[in-house]
Amino acid sequence: MVSDSLRARVGELAARVNGEVEESLGVLELTVNHSDAIEALNGAKNLVDVPCDFLHDLCGMDLEDHLEVVYQLSSLRGAQRLRIIARVERDNPVIDSATRFWKGADFLEREAFDMFGIQFKGHPNLKRIYMWDDFEGYPMRKDYVIESHEQRAIMRVRKEGE
Amino acid sequence: MKNEKELRDAEVMAETNILRASIEKFLNWGRVHSFWPTSFGLACCAIEMASTGGARYCLARFGYEVFQASPRQADLMIVAGTLTRKMAPVARRIYDQMPEPKWAIAMGNCACSGGPFADSYAVVPGADSIIPIDVYIPGCPPRPESLIFGMLQLKQKIQNPAKARLIKYGK
Repeated sequence: MVSDSLRARVGELAARVNGEVEESLGVLELTVNHSDAIEALNGAKNLVDVPCDFLHDLCGMDLEDHLEVVYQLSSLRGAQRLRIIARVERDNPVIDSATRFWKGADFLEREAFDMFGIQFKGHPNLKRIYMWDDFEGYPMRKDYVIESHEQRAIMRVRKEGE
Repeated sequence: MKNEKELRDAEVMAETNILRASIEKFLNWGRVHSFWPTSFGLACCAIEMASTGGARYCLARFGYEVFQASPRQADLMIVAGTLTRKMAPVARRIYDQMPEPKWAIAMGNCACSGGPFADSYAVVPGADSIIPIDVYIPGCPPRPESLIFGMLQLKQKIQNPAKARLIKYGK
């Protein structure tokens, strides 16, 4: 259930950041371009009456013609929920980091970087989190080609301090 | 004739409290009744491995209950779970740290062949590409009975080295 005040506030925010609002599975979705993402997140965090100030998930998506970063927001001060989707170019996947608002975005952004190669500008420690450092490619992208059975059977060399 | 002579000799020896047998046979008899597995649980198979050691299935009946936290005190490695490529060098290192003689069991489909993750970018398709495996236990995860059966198969293998070699090379 989306409350009327949330719908109104998100509508105002969308007009400010050139976004589109949709409702999907009982949650409002605000879709913006990557250049407006940080403004949209800041706005959502400081919505009057219905602040969506808790980032409970962040992930990447691959839609073949472009990439997306999905922010799932909720709050400890009410039942409101909001999903912000930021479109990112596929050739130059750069977006501003959300770590300036939420410290917890650190590992989530590293995961999105590891799996999709999305560069988060302003991230304090942007490196791979699941895969090893010299792994090549971004495995969750649609065009990623998995290495052959024989290649994966070769033991890689471990680096000290990994 | 020769056999009779051997028996006669043995009788004489027995009177003087000397027993002659192959030392390797004797050592193997000791080894198969006291495997010290190193607990290398990687995924859900480790839960079944733990349950095998528990009171209900009681691996201790066979003398195998000493799950060692250090590979240096173990002679059997149970690879229980999905071996990822990030983990592979660590697994090999732990195997290398075990003193000889040593054996390895691949427990579960993932360790046998990669299982449901055989086509994943992150998973080694079968632990046998990293570590020489003696016994494969299929199942997802295998029940504790399967693990016990697998360890008893390893016991057979060690007790009858010649036979195990023949089965391996199909003669």
